[in-house]
Amino acid sequence: MNTVFKLAASALALSFAAGMANADDAFWKEAAAPYQGVTLRGVTESSPPSLYIREVLAPQFEELTGIRVDIETTSWDQMFDKAIKDMEAGTGIYDMVYIEQDIIYSYLARDFLTDTTQLLADHPELKAPTYDEGNFTTFADYFKGSNGHLYGIPMEAFIKIYLYRTDLFGDPDIQAAFKESTGRDLTPATTHEEYTEIAKFFYDYGQKNNLQLWGATVQGHTGHPASWYEYVETIAPTFGIYNWGIKADNNYAASVANGGEMNSDTAKEALQWWLDLRQYAPPESNQSTWTEVGTTFGAGRAAQGLVYGENAGWIASDPEKSLVVGKVGVALPPLSDGVLAEAEAGEGYIGYYDGGAFGLPSTSKNKEAAALFLEYIGQNEVQPDWAVAAPRVTNTATYDDPKVQDMNKELGGYYDMLKDKGYLFAGAPAYPFHAQLREAVAPTFYKILTGDVSVSDGLDQMAEIAEATLTELGYRK
Amino acid sequence: MQSNRLGWILLAPTLAILFFFGVLPFIYVVYVSFHQWNPFAADPHMIFNGADNFRKIVFDAEFLNSVGVTVLFVLFAVISELVVGYILAQAFMKEFPGKAIFRTIHTLPLIMAPIIVGSVWKLMMTPSIGIIPHYLNEWFGITVNIGTSPVAAFTTIIIMDIWHWTPLVTLTLIAALVSLPPDPFEQAQIDGANKRQIFFHITVPMIAPAVVATVFIRLMDALRTVDEVWMLTGGGPGSATRFVGVHIFKEVFPKTNYGYGSTISVIVLYLTIVACWLLYVTMLAPRNKKD
Repeated sequence: MNTVFKLAASALALSFAAGMANADDAFWKEAAAPYQGVTLRGVTESSPPSLYIREVLAPQFEELTGIRVDIETTSWDQMFDKAIKDMEAGTGIYDMVYIEQDIIYSYLARDFLTDTTQLLADHPELKAPTYDEGNFTTFADYFKGSNGHLYGIPMEAFIKIYLYRTDLFGDPDIQAAFKESTGRDLTPATTHEEYTEIAKFFYDYGQKNNLQLWGATVQGHTGHPASWYEYVETIAPTFGIYNWGIKADNNYAASVANGGEMNSDTAKEALQWWLDLRQYAPPESNQSTWTEVGTTFGAGRAAQGLVYGENAGWIASDPEKSLVVGKVGVALPPLSDGVLAEAEAGEGYIGYYDGGAFGLPSTSKNKEAAALFLEYIGQNEVQPDWAVAAPRVTNTATYDDPKVQDMNKELGGYYDMLKDKGYLFAGAPAYPFHAQLREAVAPTFYKILTGDVSVSDGLDQMAEIAEATLTELGYRK
Repeated sequence: MQSNRLGWILLAPTLAILFFFGVLPFIYVVYVSFHQWNPFAADPHMIFNGADNFRKIVFDAEFLNSVGVTVLFVLFAVISELVVGYILAQAFMKEFPGKAIFRTIHTLPLIMAPIIVGSVWKLMMTPSIGIIPHYLNEWFGITVNIGTSPVAAFTTIIIMDIWHWTPLVTLTLIAALVSLPPDPFEQAQIDGANKRQIFFHITVPMIAPAVVATVFIRLMDALRTVDEVWMLTGGGPGSATRFVGVHIFKEVFPKTNYGYGSTISVIVLYLTIVACWLLYVTMLAPRNKKD
């Protein structure tokens, strides 16, 4: 009787679901009917989540609606170049552009983007029953304007986490050697001193045993902004230096003399700590950007590292790319005293919450059709497979999906951390001059990395350059 | 008269393309160079600022450094390519076993896009995993790291450029050498001239126009090198390989400093023209005067 009841209930649920699916399909077909023959063009970075859009979601949408979607995946800098030029010139080539979290403020300042909340409110016939802004995690807040409306549909969100090798950290012989060497148990570091201690231990261990193993990854390219990002977004916050050391509410002061923190003693301590880590890092570190750091860790060349979450998925689970599948643990980054408390109180953050959204340029000639596609990729229904293919979560419901739960185990609890501790991380500060300031100070930063300028002098110069640049751009009065 | 008209008609499409895609953009760049314009500034509009950008450029240490490293790069790369290219061209003038295969292989780098060349060399030069640092260390005990050593990075870029572009020089010089008449050489030999005298007094003057044309092409290419360097070092370590092309790219694209970036472009164009003119005056003008 019980079995019969369960089967009947399942059949009822299935037929209900099928009915809902049919109803949903009917909506897409009906809503898309006026836009037959339209081809939507999008430009985005060539990353796993974007490739999933191009290879899976775009064809699905096309089959469902008859609206063709061409997604162009290209390099990070080319993507920005193409999108900005299109929106600046008003050519309307692109109907969708990738908005990295750190550039949204620049785009909003220039009115480059369409208010999607308003667009859907003005066109109720476009509003999909399965799309709801309330489904997104709080990461969506980064893509809201001052009116609280959404200007981009979140498509990827990660935190930059502390990855460590569970096989090495759990090896009894290594544990004993570490205890003998340091007097404490081998566990993921919670402080900077512990992190360095572990890095040094594994560096020595690798040298002693003639292994291709080093103590830590360092994203330390001497000519690419990735190194600057690692310092300002990942390292400095763990020492309590937030928002690049610039005080936006104090006339964008950067130097200590004017009330900023870019060249404070703490900032100098943070940078020196990070630079010192390079002695325990693999030789390729000074040519490593975000991608190479993931590759280094995936190749089993580092015992621990601070790695972008977008790489955590393949590192932990793709045996074709990674040599450390099943050997990866995740933890919060090492912190200075008081930083965690500040983050929990909402007065600071402990690392970078990275990600991006798909936005609809104001210059698009196919806004309505593009809005349909953006709704499509924002539905809860398409998220689980997407999250498995590329470890990104933008919708709250995704965490509970069984596929994602399984993936979470493979990732050593990464999704749990994203869900439970994500609030401790933060995206880039709300600066409309993000790339402009970065490029102004980067040459000096590279000179610090090469040793041409000392940490102290270099940060002093960077603070001075930052203030001069902000004055020239008209933000600092 | 009719043939004149036909000539202009046939030229018209080319002139139109040149005007719209060459002259007009150039005029626009010159116009922008007199403005302060950054679309992400508090005021995103173009603001006329006279010669301010040109004044600023004189005190711009990053720009001056980029000009310095570019000049060094051009000197080393172009001279090396000319010497190696000439030696190879002379070698290809003679018959030897496997010549056709070697000539084909030698020309292959020319068909590779600069961005690919940069990527391949980056892969070969990455410490620990790159084949070049590996064997330099294995065979000679030399540690090379282009991420930390400015000299290594600079030298690698020159070698990469030589590898990529020497075939062009070789092909041009082969064409020049093939077209040389045999009489002056036979006459010189009869008169008892040695190889060095023949080279400096007959070969060099006779192939000078081809050499100058080749140098012009390579000079202009080298001055605007971006792709390979961008891929290989990104301009680093520090500013060691931040050539003027890379500097302009960083100024105009990521920094969106359109006004100042245009100013640098105009100045670099001016310097290129001056360099080419100096080269012309030095190498060809005396010869033309003599003729």
